[in-house]
Amino acid sequence: MTFDTAPIDLQPTETPRIRQFERLLLGLAAAFLFVNSLALILVQGNSQPVQWLHLILWLACAAIGSVTLDRYLPGRDPLLFPISMFLSGWGLVMIDRLAPNFADRQTVWLVVSLAAMLLTATLPGPLRWLRNFRYILLVFGLLLLVATIVLGRNPSDPTGETNAPQLWLGFGSIFFQPSETLKIILVAFLASYLAENYPAMRAEGLDSGGRALPFSPRVLGPILLMWGISVLILIWQRDLGTAILFFVVFLVLLYVASGYNLILVSGAILIAIAALVAYQQFSVVQLRVDIWLNPWPEADGRAFQIVQSLLAFAAGGIFGQGVGQGSPTYIPVVHSDFVFAALAEEWGLLGIITVIACIAILVTRGMRAAVRQQRRPFLALLTVGLSMLIATQSVLIMAGVLKLIPLTGVTLPFLSYGGSSLLASFVIIGLLLRLSALESHHAVRA
Amino acid sequence: MQFAREINRLLLGVLAVLLIVAGSATYWAIVGADTILDRKDNPRQVEAEASIRRGSIFDRNGQLLVETTDADGGLMRRYLHPETYSALGYFSLRYGVNGAEAAYNTTLRGDDRPSDFNTYFSMDILHRPHQGSDVRLTFDLAIQQQVAHIMAGRQGAAIVLAVPSGEVLAMVSAPTFDPNTLDTEWERLIAEPGNPFFNRALQGNYQPGGTLQTPLIAAAMLTGIPLDTPIDDATRPLSIANVNLRCAAFLSPRALTLREAYLFGCPYPFAQLADELGIEGVQAIFDTFHLDSPPTLAGFVVQPADTPTASPSTFSLNSDNLAQNALGQGELTITPLEMAMIGAAIVNDGNAPEPYTLQETRPPGSEAWIPATHLHPSIPLTTANTARQLQDMMRLAVANGAAQNAGRANIDIGGHATLAYSGEGAQAWFVGFATLGGRQGVAVAIVIENSDDPGLAADIGGSALAIARDALSP
Repeated sequence: MTFDTAPIDLQPTETPRIRQFERLLLGLAAAFLFVNSLALILVQGNSQPVQWLHLILWLACAAIGSVTLDRYLPGRDPLLFPISMFLSGWGLVMIDRLAPNFADRQTVWLVVSLAAMLLTATLPGPLRWLRNFRYILLVFGLLLLVATIVLGRNPSDPTGETNAPQLWLGFGSIFFQPSETLKIILVAFLASYLAENYPAMRAEGLDSGGRALPFSPRVLGPILLMWGISVLILIWQRDLGTAILFFVVFLVLLYVASGYNLILVSGAILIAIAALVAYQQFSVVQLRVDIWLNPWPEADGRAFQIVQSLLAFAAGGIFGQGVGQGSPTYIPVVHSDFVFAALAEEWGLLGIITVIACIAILVTRGMRAAVRQQRRPFLALLTVGLSMLIATQSVLIMAGVLKLIPLTGVTLPFLSYGGSSLLASFVIIGLLLRLSALESHHAVRA
Repeated sequence: MQFAREINRLLLGVLAVLLIVAGSATYWAIVGADTILDRKDNPRQVEAEASIRRGSIFDRNGQLLVETTDADGGLMRRYLHPETYSALGYFSLRYGVNGAEAAYNTTLRGDDRPSDFNTYFSMDILHRPHQGSDVRLTFDLAIQQQVAHIMAGRQGAAIVLAVPSGEVLAMVSAPTFDPNTLDTEWERLIAEPGNPFFNRALQGNYQPGGTLQTPLIAAAMLTGIPLDTPIDDATRPLSIANVNLRCAAFLSPRALTLREAYLFGCPYPFAQLADELGIEGVQAIFDTFHLDSPPTLAGFVVQPADTPTASPSTFSLNSDNLAQNALGQGELTITPLEMAMIGAAIVNDGNAPEPYTLQETRPPGSEAWIPATHLHPSIPLTTANTARQLQDMMRLAVANGAAQNAGRANIDIGGHATLAYSGEGAQAWFVGFATLGGRQGVAVAIVIENSDDPGLAADIGGSALAIARDALSP
């Protein structure tokens, strides 16, 4: 199966159809959000105009985004923008329902994120900058990481009294999670590094008679660097989710660049070793793994959150309880890490499948754009990496709240509460929009 | 094709993983849901329980006994009359239901309502709080209050039945508890020696003692044993199983006929009677009076609980335990409800009415009461002729026997006051009736623990009958 067999060539003559399709999808999303906002306001029984304001701002974002993209990126992928708007709008409804105090803030972040997305998508520079200034960006990113390790705080615990992970940098009342920026920078860095080195990697394979030999410094070097960064994050920040995310996305990029199946195998082994060591060494990992293996005996203690999460899925059933009508707020910090469980309780399995399908479509469209750019290795690898960031992060948290894997505290892209996460997700969409709008490699000289 | 193969494989992998996630969500939403939703720590269960607006409970005359009111942030169950606590039981989110609250739990919760589209729509789609039906019980607040006041401070039980319907007019068990403050008082209450949660009227398995003289004398009548032959030294105390049995009234040593011995509750002549009837004769009368199988009150759950005196047990009569059991000091135990039914049978031509407490129900939002459908087969205990003779003897016992204290002016009251012994203490019993004209009547059974004064039990019984007469007369 390749996507090249039936390429949809987005020629300028077809742009009205793209525009129409995208607007249809945005309209459907708007209708969904309107119905749910209305239902939520009716259920809660107090009509707060501020909730309508959130929806109006969302509509404004959708309209401005659509018009701007029409003007600058007529040949873009018509699914990326509507789906990300749909999910983030749904996220706004969820936060209105779960943690109304945070909804204003999240709406502001949506506006900021949309602006960032449009700038990324329309300015001529970003793709070039990511490639040309990759070392500067990497150093900047690592500095941010170090700054977080030294100065990190937690918005819910600004004084640092509790043992909560301190993954944020605070400026007054605004908190930012640098790992969100770092993940884009790292993907760009790796894409450009691998774009330069992949012929050598593939050639090495050829030199040894077609057999894969992944243990050259060219390959091992970046592996160890990334592994080191991940472990660093894990040790100093106790941020299991981000550590795994970085490492998985990196392995995948290396696999695509080199074509060695063995990389995935050895990567899996490395993860397993790291997991074993981490289980021995870090109480946070031990806790997560223990309650993942058997949460039931500690259902009202350490495993409270995950058990409540499963109960939310069970209570939601197929059709859900209806917005505002379930009891997902029994799950601690439901509006960020466990928004998927809350969605399960109120929109049921149908809502869950919808979200999973949306993520699947985003990733599929991203991969399709990557295939189209495969003659331009940097762009192809960048596209794969960005798509995999969304895919991996989604899977980590979705499988986590479903007790498929140990819980890792990452956000669900677009849906979870969290400004830096939303901003990063929209920047990724901006880059993907731009990449999808580039002419196919058939039309340009490699 | 540089990366296409890898990218496509990668995409397939991602889609497969997403499919697994979707499968897992499907499992927990559909297959695994039932296995975890019933968990005790599912707060949704508690929340759903707490949001149910239970129906109100009324007495037979429409007096409100229990209601559910809005309290800050939730609902509150209010019990309006302390005298009804022991009969109504309790409802607590933490400790469940008991008494009438348990007996009609399904109705009060609204679980028995037919599921039509409207209820489905309002409950399952709109999540309107469930609302239960109101119930109207057979209790009469006035009787209940008076009887409870008389019983206050004592330990024991009283039950008043309407004849021939079998309606339970009043049911008191003392000591009791306050269901309004149950959640805060629970720890203290369960540790209390008087066992306030134990409904003595329905579940108290007491030594019957002298109350068994009624079935025994019925057996004498049925087998033609003369009642009026004097028996020498009939008032003498009798020592059986290490307890000293004596007459229910203080009498100087003298000869009594069997009939007179019944009036004064003297044990010795009945020990002789039991001997005369033999094992089979005594067993036969126990069987026809259903003494081996204590009756239950429809709906009320009999909980296994520590009884204040003895526990029910299966036993068979033999020559060693015949006298002991015939005098009510053996393995055989009875409940106050059982004694009240015997009293009711005596005033109802030998047929014991089946007791019940539910009169009508009213669905939420409705004005009309729906009569509860009851089958009330009465249980024949003895012949009409014997029953009338027993009535007369009981009237005599009130007129000038041990039950004199039960007498009230202008009321036709009959009764039998006796003693039973258990361990260190004694219980005073009174079983009696009052006729109300026509075929109407009232039957009562009173037991007072730690009392050797049958006159006290008779007095309480007389008061209860008089109150019931006043309450039921138009």
